[in-house]
Amino acid sequence: MYNLHLTPEQLEIRDTVRDFVAAEIKPPALKPERLEAHVRPLLVDILDQASQMGLRTLALSEEHGGAAADNLTCCIVAEELAVGDPDIAAVLAQTATLARAWFDRVMTPEQRARFLPAFLADERYHLALVEHEGDAKLGIDYHRPQASEAMAGIAAARSGSGWVINGTRQCVANAAVAKLFAIEVRAGTDRMSTILVPRDTPGLSVPARDRADRWGHGAAATVILKHCHVPVENLIGSEGRNALADDAGRGIPQAEAINLGIGRAAYEAALDYAQLRVQGGRRIIEHQAIGTKLAEVAIRLETARAAIWRAAWASDHPEAFADRSLADLPLTTMAKVFASEAIYHATKDAAECFGAMGVMRDMPLQKYVHDALVCLHSGVGNGEAKLRIAEALANYRRPAAPAVLAAE
Amino acid sequence: MDFTLSNEQLAWQMTARKFAEEEIRPISLARDEIEDPRETFDWEIVRKGSRLGFRTMAVPKEWGGHGSDFVTQALVMTELAKADSAISKTFSQCWKWSHLIAATCTDDQKRRFLKPFLEDDTFLLGKGISEPSAGSDNRLPPADDPKAGLKLRAERRGDEWILNGEKCFIANASVGKLFFIDARTDPNAPLKQGTTMFLVPRDTPGFRIGKVFNKAGWRFYQNGEMIFENARVPHANVVGPVNGSDMKSHQAGDRTGGDLFGDLELAANALGVCDDACSMALTLARTKQQGGRPLFEQQVVQLKLNQMHMLTEALRSFVMRVAWEHDHKTHSANAGLCMNYSTDVIQEVTELNLDLHAGAGIIDARADKLVRDGIIWSHLAGDSVQRMKVTRRVGK
Repeated sequence: MYNLHLTPEQLEIRDTVRDFVAAEIKPPALKPERLEAHVRPLLVDILDQASQMGLRTLALSEEHGGAAADNLTCCIVAEELAVGDPDIAAVLAQTATLARAWFDRVMTPEQRARFLPAFLADERYHLALVEHEGDAKLGIDYHRPQASEAMAGIAAARSGSGWVINGTRQCVANAAVAKLFAIEVRAGTDRMSTILVPRDTPGLSVPARDRADRWGHGAAATVILKHCHVPVENLIGSEGRNALADDAGRGIPQAEAINLGIGRAAYEAALDYAQLRVQGGRRIIEHQAIGTKLAEVAIRLETARAAIWRAAWASDHPEAFADRSLADLPLTTMAKVFASEAIYHATKDAAECFGAMGVMRDMPLQKYVHDALVCLHSGVGNGEAKLRIAEALANYRRPAAPAVLAAE
Repeated sequence: MDFTLSNEQLAWQMTARKFAEEEIRPISLARDEIEDPRETFDWEIVRKGSRLGFRTMAVPKEWGGHGSDFVTQALVMTELAKADSAISKTFSQCWKWSHLIAATCTDDQKRRFLKPFLEDDTFLLGKGISEPSAGSDNRLPPADDPKAGLKLRAERRGDEWILNGEKCFIANASVGKLFFIDARTDPNAPLKQGTTMFLVPRDTPGFRIGKVFNKAGWRFYQNGEMIFENARVPHANVVGPVNGSDMKSHQAGDRTGGDLFGDLELAANALGVCDDACSMALTLARTKQQGGRPLFEQQVVQLKLNQMHMLTEALRSFVMRVAWEHDHKTHSANAGLCMNYSTDVIQEVTELNLDLHAGAGIIDARADKLVRDGIIWSHLAGDSVQRMKVTRRVGK
């Protein structure tokens, strides 16, 4: 049954992370040098502390050394972390999600034996997935079978006892901090295979992050593979099958939860300020104009949370689609569109409460607005997301689509 | 109804367009990206623009300016803002206060201040109202709290006034040579009855500029802190009557500007930014291809372009109507409404432009800049206080 009661464990971890954010993340995250949109060094020490708390392995099964949190719990944690710092939240969410997919589900016992001990032992061991570029925009291919653009991307060829991989991919989430990559490659046919490539493999390089990489949360960077040689045992699943995409199931709305955390940070700041700032002879929250503005912000955040939690719960309970409790719709994609638009609006309203201080770079409000703006365009972007939802509404099945498109 | 521009208006528009394209646009992004807010300014562009008349165009002809009408001013602001909103604002900020000088200053004050302003290509003007604890209170003084509003104190001592206190967010503070400063001369009276306006030159003893604010948008246009520590201003620099500083709207009879010019200014500037965003989006849609076909062919792209152009052209009609009404001395709340409206338009249009670029996989620094510049309007032209203030004009 759909139940909005959080478990004692969920409440406890939420409070723990909330305290951690207040005590450890907010102070360094609010320093002026961290508030500049385009030069924002990752808070590496904080990331280490969060790893020590178990947030890097949050979703991994207990059997493999994790906390076995479900998707809703992961979303609650991501929201809390993002109230303090969306970059920290994004890095941990990506590693935790991939760790569960890889170590719990798709790796062979031999692969697990090779990679899991190092992953568990090293708190700076993060994971990155280099997705195939074939997840091109629908655009003119909306509701039509053929992908219009040639499948470019990263290619792998067999060579002796291994694979040789060549190609480049921009804006790969976590690339700047990852020690293990899973690369979706074309190997001969149009079908995709997925190959594990450790960071220290000769030929793999990650150049310094550029402007496009920074237009996003986390530690995205470009990944370059030049004659990168890995043993044949690094193949995940079987050749010609995108094992990760097959496994992905319904999308987990973690990016949306991070977006929500950004909105909450703006809201909490505005609510505090509105109760302190006096103009017009009273605290500004006592003016109708500001009071109703904050009410609208709160409405947008609460309704966004409802959409996100519902999608998260649905991803934990696929049987709810099977028994027709839930409509068979891409709930996570729908939550993304709704939440990102609502929260961008909410951050702008929150910033307006601050007057001129709302646009100052040494103040956090302009950063929240920027961070929310980035969410409007992150992932597939809202224009693209609406096309995907429209296809789903019409029960359109994309015959030649790469598996990643079918994931949500 | 006649929308034809005169030859003189067309000439100003063309000169501004050429200057904007050839001189402003090439430096616009680089200036925006300078990290230190004190270093974003470029005196060379101010000198070049000044020589073309863009600094002094609002000064009446009898005092040696160009005496441009409001329609011309709107045209020029829009053209300059197409290339850079903040640089356009740096010039038009001088017009606002040239209106004020012409309308409210004595002949002696005009001789002392307008003349050097006209002669010096780097002479910029500003006006200090906002203070750390008085922003909205200056715009909408609360009836039930007579002491609310600015606190900067001025006390008469012989032929001088002694000013103590501070101002913040003051436009052109760090680059200006002359400022209009509102100070409280009767601390026991409500704002409008207890405030006096002073002409304060940059080199006034006891007056200095503090920090330059580090804004997310409008980087070129500098807003600074002003600190007055026993600053000595001669009585001859009082503008209008003592305890009667509300010159720019009331006693000036809305003839000049002040509020009215300022409202038109923000709307005309927004229009230029929207023109730029529309042009960027259209170029992208025509040139960027997907599957061998331009983005322009896609319905979702067409609908976004339609929204951008629809809003921009509606704003243009409103801006030009308000400018025309100012020239015909027709008083209404339209300038304020147009300013409020320009907030909604500039933000939606620049956000759609960014959306089209990001949707095509392009993180474009200029598209990002236009959005950041547009957000400034939330805090200047379209906040609740500015909207309520205009509504009170409507309700009069």
